[in-house]
Order: sequence, then structure tokens, then C-alpha cells
Amino acid sequence: MKTITINPVTRLEGHGKISIFLNEEGNVENAYFQVPELRGFEKFCEGRPVEELPDITSRICGVCPEAHHIASTKALDRLFHVDPPPTAKKLRELLYSAFFIADHTTHFYILSGPDFIMGPTAPKAERNILSAIGKVGLEVGTSIIKHRSDALDVIAMIGGKRIHPTCGVPGGVSKPITEIERAKIEAIAESEVEFATFSLKLFDDMVLHNKDYLNLITSDIYATETYYMGLVDDKNRVNFYDGKIRVVDPQGKEFAKFSASEYQQHIAEHVEPWTYLKYPYLKKIGWKGLVSGKDSGIYRATPLARLNVADGMATPLAQAEYERMYKTLGTKPVHATLATHWARLVELMYAAERLLELSRDSEITNPNVRTIPTAKPDEGVGVVEAPRGTLIHHYKTDQKGMVKNVNLIVGTTNNHAAISMSIKQAAERLIKKGDVSDGILNMVEMAFRAYDPCYACATHTLPGQMPLEVNIYNKDRRVLQTLRRP
Amino acid sequence: MLLGVGNTIMGDDAVGIHVVRRLKEKLGSRTDLEFKELSVGGLRLIEEMLGYDQVLIIDSIESKGKKTGQIREFSPDQFKETEQTVAPHITNFATALELYKRLEPSEIPSTIRIFTIDIEPKLTFTEEMSEPVRDAATELVEQITREVQRDPTHSK
Repeated sequence: MKTITINPVTRLEGHGKISIFLNEEGNVENAYFQVPELRGFEKFCEGRPVEELPDITSRICGVCPEAHHIASTKALDRLFHVDPPPTAKKLRELLYSAFFIADHTTHFYILSGPDFIMGPTAPKAERNILSAIGKVGLEVGTSIIKHRSDALDVIAMIGGKRIHPTCGVPGGVSKPITEIERAKIEAIAESEVEFATFSLKLFDDMVLHNKDYLNLITSDIYATETYYMGLVDDKNRVNFYDGKIRVVDPQGKEFAKFSASEYQQHIAEHVEPWTYLKYPYLKKIGWKGLVSGKDSGIYRATPLARLNVADGMATPLAQAEYERMYKTLGTKPVHATLATHWARLVELMYAAERLLELSRDSEITNPNVRTIPTAKPDEGVGVVEAPRGTLIHHYKTDQKGMVKNVNLIVGTTNNHAAISMSIKQAAERLIKKGDVSDGILNMVEMAFRAYDPCYACATHTLPGQMPLEVNIYNKDRRVLQTLRRP
Repeated sequence: MLLGVGNTIMGDDAVGIHVVRRLKEKLGSRTDLEFKELSVGGLRLIEEMLGYDQVLIIDSIESKGKKTGQIREFSPDQFKETEQTVAPHITNFATALELYKRLEPSEIPSTIRIFTIDIEPKLTFTEEMSEPVRDAATELVEQITREVQRDPTHSK
């Protein structure tokens, strides 16, 4: 048997390792995806004042500290039995919308864009943001970093800092915003809506108008049928900050809809001996192994999953893009993993429009941004949609608010099983008779990259982008060849 | 600007931040110096440096065959060659820096020096650092203090 190990996966955070086992004929027999996991987070938190957790949990991930901060703050609201004033909720959502803009922009343009802008099988030296900027022009590059940076400025205005916000407190946020700040945010939001429009147009021009790419997106190389999960508002529209968790089956029928506090009735975690990371699955369906379909409890929680579980978007331009996406792809739910990139841009539009709406909200500068908790703390669950999927924080404390127990289900972990399946599927269809060219391996990686997996928090490892190392072994597990990608 | 990079809940990984905190205690009265802490990498790391004349980055580094606690200095150019292979925090540093050099060349510091302390990769959360890394931190604080005091422009 010949083994190909892609280790670690390039251009994504954390230490992923993909091993592909070939049989005698050089076709794929099996594929595994493994990640290391840091230990002791729960123990580290035990005995600390629970108010520290929004700060501590935001440090387990260098990529999306904002998602942990807000999920943690919402868990504290529940734990202290306190309902924040409307303006506080809106300010949190405003910050969160800005965060989604920065994060989705980074993923689309910096991490995944080069695959499409330069081509999936372009020489490896060209498949990066520098070459992509060379192709689309410096002006576009400047616009990308400007809109990313402006979104981070909004985070700083609400959260106190551009990175690791500190505004979230049980019952609200630490400070209101001024009219001057509001006006600045409104101006930024107007520009972000234009930028999202531009990004969708660029996707149209570069991807959808390219028949080969469209075929690639819809091909069975990248299609995985699973359940889908995401937060929806009371009209079943996508919401990043709050709502109920909705699950639809592979045919798009609602399977479950529940509050964050009920998550343990619906989600269980499977452990495999060969990987540290757990596999969450739908408890009522059960774990049937790494298999797709209605009888398997595997679900996905991604931008595409969020659109699949929703009946629509809550803002007009995003709704139009949502309708266009499903009309073009012809089905709902869409199982094509690469359509996640498109869904991410629809969400970019929603985040920009929501930022603009909130900046114009008549209550947004109201100074009443905190309800002081008076009840004794005990237990709380907080949920948000992180860019990479549903993020759940669950804490228990003693009556003095000292942490007794912490459980986190993070965005990427939800997708762990589906990522493994998508990699295997792409490898099976792409690698034939031992042909494992660089371009083919990149196309296998694209199945992984569409999820924007950030194992920084799934495994609690630090942000880091590591080189790609491909080891090819013969059936006796001797290394035949090692390829290294800088 | 003195920029400490690391994660304060990951033991030795936080050494860059501890060094910068101690440098701030010693040199905080200098009006020509700024001190920053950062727990992220990539684009956000570069963004934090924009607009400064000279930047010293202090970070931990994991690499094979190096002694824990070893202090080393790199220039950004060296990370082009060792690209993404050794430093978890400075990963993608070369690409991110190159991107900003092309897009906002006037904002890039004229001098960027990177000081690292070698650490063993650990998989456990803690706020404590190991002894060799603590000792190295003390030595690096002294070294940078001497350099900054000797040459206010602290450029090479």
C-alpha cells in the first residue's frame, strides 16, 4: 500500500495532517484527517471567576477571538440570569457583523481566492495572494485590506481593541457609543456594502462565468450529502448573533429546532482512537461512521449549511443573492462543498447590510447598555454562529461564580467528520493509478479549504500556517518520495 | 515599537509578551518608544506594525535541533527562506509583509528586527513558563535594554 501524507495542510491555521492510502493499483483505499489537540483547558478554567472567561476563551484562538468573546458573554448572561438592554444586544451584534466582514473577506481573498483567481492547478508558486493581487490589480488589493481594516476599526470602537475585544460583560456591554462613532460606523458600513457587491461581482466574473469552475463546483468530486445546522431568527432567516439552532436533513426538511441550552439533547460526540479531535453528530440519528446520507448523524455547520437551514436572509441584497445562488445551483439544500465560497460571500453581504442597519438604528447610541446582574450564578449556555460554524460555550459555576465546569463545541469541530469525508471523496475521485501531481493534491486540499477550518480553536492550538509536506509511502510504509511546499 | 507576540495561557509561548511587559517597566518613560502585545499572526501582525519607523518583534519559536531558551535574531528576509517552517506566530509573515509592501509601501517600518527564544512545543494550558525560558527572557530583556539605551534609534 502506498501512503500519501499531506502534513500539515497549507494556508490554514493549525496543524492538520492528511494521510491518503493507495492500494496496489494506485487508487485511493482510504483517507484520514488528523489534528493534534491541546489539553487541560477545562482544568485551566476551573476555580477562576467566570467573568474572566470572555477574555480567556478569546485567547484559545488567534483567528476568531471575537466569536469566543461574544459566545462567552452570552453564556454569562444566562449564567447570571440577566437580560441585557436592547442597545447592548445591538452593539454586540454590530461588533459581530464587523467581525464577520473582516473574517469572510480574509478567507475569500487571502486563503481561498488564489485557487480560483490563479486556477486550481496553476503552478504552486503562483497559488497565493501575491500572484492573485498581481492578476486582479493593486487597486483591488488595496480595497481588500482597506475594508478588512475598516471592519477591525469598528470592532475597536465597540470592543475597545482591534483584537481581543473586552466589551462583553454579563448583562450588556461595557460602554455605549457616541454619535461621532455611530456616524463613522455608518460610513464604513456603506462602503462595506459596496465592497460586498464588488466581491460577488468578482466571483461572478472569475468563477461563475468560467464553465470549468462552475462544473468543478457542482461536480461529484466535491458533493457530500449531510444534515445541516445553523442559527435562525424567528422567521427562519440566517442570524449570526442569536436565535434557535435549526437542523435540516439532506433533503432540506426540518429535523430539529432547539435553544442553545438544549444542545446536549441533540449533539453527541464520537471519539476515534486515531485522532484527538472528537466528531460531533446528531444524537437522535446516531454515529454510523464516516458516511454520508440521511441515516448518518453527521452534519455540517458552515456558511453553506447556514443558508441551507434558513428560509432566507434578513436583508434585501443578501436575500437577492441567496435566491440567485439556489436558482443557479438548482437545488436546496446544496451539497456542493465548494459552493461554501459563494455562500460565504452571500453572508458577507448580509453582514455588511446588517452593520449598516444597526448603525442607523435609533437606539444604537442609547447610553443604557448594561443590566446589572443580581441573581446567583449557576449554569449558562451561549451560542453564536462563528464564521466556521455554530459555536457553543457551556459553563457551570458555584454560587460565588467560580468555574466548576466548561464545555465548548467550536465551529470547525462540528465539521470534523464532514471534512474527513470530503477529503476522502475528493481523493478517491481525483487520484487514479498513482497520479498524485501537485495540482491534484491541491484539488484535494480545496475540499478541506472550503470549510475554512481553523484548528487553532478546534484543537486549541495557536494560529499558525504551516508548510505542506507530502509523504508518499509504498505498501511497506517506506517513504518513496517527500514533497515540500513552502 | 516593541511588539511582544504570544499567548499568555500557553506557558512558554507567552515569552515574547513577558519580555515586552518587562521592557515597558524599564523603558516605559521613553516617549519615543511604544509597547504592544499581540496574540495573533499573519495579516493582523503586519497591520499592528504599519506606520512605525522601527519595530522589534519578540516571539517564541519552535524549531528542531535548537536548545530551549536559545536567543536568536532574524531579519524579515530570513523568513522568506525559512518561510512558515519554524515560527508559529510569524507564519505567513513573509507573505503578509510582502503583500503590505506592495499595497501600502509608505506604511512599512524601515527596520524590522525579530528576536526569538526557542521553546519546546507543549500541549497544555498554563500561565507558567519553564525555567530555561524564564532565564532567557531575563537575558533578552537586558540585551534589548542595552541596545535601546546605547542607540536611541536602535537600528543596525
